[in-house]
Amino acid sequence: MSGPVLNYRTRGWLRMSVEKQDTLLKMAVLSLAAILCTIYPGLMVTSATIYHILNWLHITIDVRNVCVFLAPFFSSLTTLVTYHLAKELKGPGAGLVAAVMIAIVPGYISRIAIFCMLLTYYMWIKAVKTGTLFWSTMASLAYFYMVSSWGGYVFLINIIPLHVLTLMITGRFSHRVYVAYSTLYVIGTILSMQISFVGFQPVSTSEHMGAFGVFGLCQIHSFVDYVRSRLNKTQFEVLFRAVISTVAVVGVLVLVVLTALGKIAPWTGRFYSLLDPSYAKNNIPIIASVSEHQPTAWSSFYFDLQMLTFMFPVGLYFCFSKLTDENIFIILYGVLSIYFAGVMVRLMLVLAPVMCILSGIAVSSMLSTYMKQIDEVKTEKKKAKFEGNYFMRSEIATFFVCVMSVFLVMYTLHCTWVTSEAYSSPSIVLSARGHDGSRIIFDDFREAYYWLRHNTPEDAKVMSWWDYGYQITAMANRTILVDNNTWNNTHISRVGQAMASTEDKAYEIMRELDVDYVLVIFGGLTGYSSDDINKFLWMVRIGGSTEKGGHIKEHDYYTPAGEFRVDKEGSPTLLNCLMYKMCYYRFGQVYTEGGKPPGYDRVRNVEIGNKDFELDVLEEAYTTEHWIVRIYKVKDLPNRGA
Amino acid sequence: MVSDGGWLRGGTGITPQRVCDIRPPTPKMEGHLKVLLLGLLVVASSATYDSINKDLINKKFDRKLDISSQLVKITNKITLENGGSGAVKSFLLAFTKVEKDNLSYLNAQSGGTVLKLAETRVQEHRDLAFFKVELKDALQSGKTVNVEVEIILTQILEPYPAIIQQGEKQLVRYSGNHYILTPYSSNTQTTTVTLPSPNIESYSRLKPTTHTDTSITYGPYEGVAGFSEDSMNVHFENNAPFLTVSRLERVIEVSHWGNIAIEETIDVLHTGAKLKGPFSRYDYQREHNSYSSIKSFKTIMPASAKDVYYRDEIGNISTSHMRVQDDAVELDLRPRFPLFGGWKTHYKIGYNVPSYEYLYSSGDEYILKMRILDHVFDDFTVDELVLKIILPEGVRNIILETPYLVERLPDAKHFTYLDTVGRPVVSVTKKNLVESHIQDFTLHYQFPSILMLQEPLLVVIAFFILFITVIFYVRLDLTLSKDDATEAKMRVSSYCEQVHTHHDKRARLYEKLEEELQKLKTSKDVAQSQTAGFRPAFRAANRTLISCIL
Repeated sequence: MSGPVLNYRTRGWLRMSVEKQDTLLKMAVLSLAAILCTIYPGLMVTSATIYHILNWLHITIDVRNVCVFLAPFFSSLTTLVTYHLAKELKGPGAGLVAAVMIAIVPGYISRIAIFCMLLTYYMWIKAVKTGTLFWSTMASLAYFYMVSSWGGYVFLINIIPLHVLTLMITGRFSHRVYVAYSTLYVIGTILSMQISFVGFQPVSTSEHMGAFGVFGLCQIHSFVDYVRSRLNKTQFEVLFRAVISTVAVVGVLVLVVLTALGKIAPWTGRFYSLLDPSYAKNNIPIIASVSEHQPTAWSSFYFDLQMLTFMFPVGLYFCFSKLTDENIFIILYGVLSIYFAGVMVRLMLVLAPVMCILSGIAVSSMLSTYMKQIDEVKTEKKKAKFEGNYFMRSEIATFFVCVMSVFLVMYTLHCTWVTSEAYSSPSIVLSARGHDGSRIIFDDFREAYYWLRHNTPEDAKVMSWWDYGYQITAMANRTILVDNNTWNNTHISRVGQAMASTEDKAYEIMRELDVDYVLVIFGGLTGYSSDDINKFLWMVRIGGSTEKGGHIKEHDYYTPAGEFRVDKEGSPTLLNCLMYKMCYYRFGQVYTEGGKPPGYDRVRNVEIGNKDFELDVLEEAYTTEHWIVRIYKVKDLPNRGA
Repeated sequence: MVSDGGWLRGGTGITPQRVCDIRPPTPKMEGHLKVLLLGLLVVASSATYDSINKDLINKKFDRKLDISSQLVKITNKITLENGGSGAVKSFLLAFTKVEKDNLSYLNAQSGGTVLKLAETRVQEHRDLAFFKVELKDALQSGKTVNVEVEIILTQILEPYPAIIQQGEKQLVRYSGNHYILTPYSSNTQTTTVTLPSPNIESYSRLKPTTHTDTSITYGPYEGVAGFSEDSMNVHFENNAPFLTVSRLERVIEVSHWGNIAIEETIDVLHTGAKLKGPFSRYDYQREHNSYSSIKSFKTIMPASAKDVYYRDEIGNISTSHMRVQDDAVELDLRPRFPLFGGWKTHYKIGYNVPSYEYLYSSGDEYILKMRILDHVFDDFTVDELVLKIILPEGVRNIILETPYLVERLPDAKHFTYLDTVGRPVVSVTKKNLVESHIQDFTLHYQFPSILMLQEPLLVVIAFFILFITVIFYVRLDLTLSKDDATEAKMRVSSYCEQVHTHHDKRARLYEKLEEELQKLKTSKDVAQSQTAGFRPAFRAANRTLISCIL
């Protein structure tokens, strides 16, 4: 949901005139400016271009629809690119199978950036194969587009140098690779630096240092090759050793000194957590709190990829059995991405295409091997008699092809089922089955956002946990404090502190942040389990992780036995904090389930501990039909003397 | 208000009788400039002063004041007598400035005939507004005539107190005149006030005043002089929905392929007493005491409406029900949230109707007859209406006729799929409308039927050009220099292919030869094999093959 919506919002921004931007900037300093600073402009430009072309042709499509349909459109392009990529690696057969597989794989659904990534890979492989400037330049243009649309380009700028490095080590380095990489690196880096938020990162951060180092190595390697062709063997040996050791020592020294002096930014937290899964959990609660950043469970590999999981090693085998420059690339890509996907669920996105390509290679290689056996049996019956070492050759071949077909059919069924069941329901409209089997729709989110949109002042500022940031900006059209794109830890932490503090402390924070409305998600009445109380521990941790939140200690929110409870046993700090009060305000009087006391929370399955309280600094402004969204208005300061 | 229900539920496309009657004889005139008989006419340009005819006497003046909804509906029954000697052709209706500003609908009829109305002024009473009613037949001396005047005022009822809490009832105040404002002296005047409930806070009295359950009767007052005033106040409970459509944009898109699409964009504001303090969902759900809040309302659409949608900026609104009835489609709309005083919402309703019910044609001449606005909810009031009619591309000579005066906005062009020169858009606007304004406009235009083929042809030509381009592109060789290497490669590969096929042929021939020899070995019949003529054929074939390969 958030992808297209955000794209839509920011695209609208691009369309606006400069004067209008000024006024809007004043209105939405916090939210939109934040989005603008961190968002990657590639998609916006793309959708703007498509929108203008269509409207020029008098095909009157709304910008919003362009943004929404951009993703499926790019997915279909991804299928085409996958075909060409696999065709370059193995042949048209493998290409077709891979394209069919990626068309339905649930692990990859409508992400535009993946198209850019595969396009860059395709161009890169073409460049390596041909060694022409043309393909290398195309590769750098594709790389530029990738940089402009997704922060995941860092993966790309590391895997290509790694490929080059591997080729060097295995002695496959050639002029083709030299031309391809030098062109890509130089043009690609210069282009990527044109994007404002990338800026000088490609020459200053450690994520990009690998690419730079390999670029240097390339020059050295080709220089060495040149020298070698001019000198005899013994002279060369001596020279080579001397130069290598000096360069290595100097290089390491320079790197250490620069890092120590702070010229090269240390690797960002997200990147550390890629390499060391426990890093984030120990150091940065905000990264660990996102469910997409959790390590992937084995079951979700199978759920998202099904038979590809098993075909992946087979594909690797076929690649190893006939090593070429391109195959080395796909092997590297496969192995690295499966490691990364194991670290973060989100990176399943990167894994899915390579899974499809390798499985495509595997399936097509095996099928072509066995299909031949079936065919030949018919035409050369005589020969079969003499080749006794193949027992029941045609029968086994037929059997194998049948089994493979069954696998493929199962894969199709599984993929369509997963996509329709798990990935197609809009997360904003919830539904449940009533007692009589009828469908009950909980449209509470939109109800609340629409209320905000029409019945609060236009400049009202809303405070909520950052998960709902995009939704509020897009649907309620109101300024929010933090959203899904905010990586500014202190701001999110401030919100966490407000939620975790007592009313008085929270009021100070809210006045400081100039908040008009506070929005919480509460599932206690309906049993909607991903509500703010269940996320509350993250707010406490993130709130306590910065300096200002020194008074917030995680253990205060646990019972002496170390449990997180909202019933009578719960810690008093928890039962009196702002989040608790906002969620359970007047909930103590509600009967939620038959046979249970009033104020029975259907998510935590307990009767809440603190029932009779009034809010001093807030007043209930709106609560949705099923109580899922509750909005409070921050009261003005009391009059003096009152 | 007698016939309102009938209009609403009357079959679609059927114009109310009175509109038909008063259609002007010269349809060539610009519709929006035309002075029509029905409805409220504001003709500021004719600033002539009228004088009050002292001869006229209201023999009997009955006023029914219905304040049970958010509107003030007044029905006046006047028995007018000509006490003078000369015949009288017209008489005046008087309004205070406040009434005039909030006057939405005014209609006068006598014996089933609608009378002509025109705004006018009177020198001695600058602070009042007057309308001149032309009688059908001149009123002769000593004769009487019965006239029925229907008036609808909006925003006269004032919530008092203006701010209430969630559980409080909505109290409303009506301020008016005990006597009926009229320029002529009256023999008898009676006013009956209809209230929504028996709960009255207070009401002013002027003897004789009687109060029954839900009505108050003032009068009869005998011998009241013209322009008599005595302030009347009624403070009462009114929990009827005070819902105002602050802006309604109605877009009618006509297609000659059989469909008319209608989309209404509606801004709704609760204009009752404003909500003070918190909104408690708990109280709202448990105690059902939110009297003035509005949970849902009904919209009635034409019976032939289909593909109905109800949505807003953030998508489909999942809380609505549609009931298809014989004479109408009833849509039970529930806004996303209940509306309290001062809250507003915004939504869109759209549907399609078949064009044969509204579009009539003869040759190239077309007439579109549709409602200027349609029902939104019962007793609705629209602050501002914008009606846009999008006609097919190539339409000419557009003439619009409306049953009441509207302001016509400049025509525009609308571009959508497959358009080249744009579709003409006729837009009109009008302020302060109520249910009685649901009447038909008539739009005359010309459309050459050959233009129906324009869009299909456009598509055909576009695809034709595309295919032709591809055909040319594929067959075009733009290389300047010959590439010898590739040329040679291609030639060699073609030779290789030839050799390959010939070789296959030859192998097959050899196989046959072998078989033949085998046969020969078993049968020993040399003669037969020679007569079969296989050998020479084989030889010939072999020879050509060898030459070819070499």
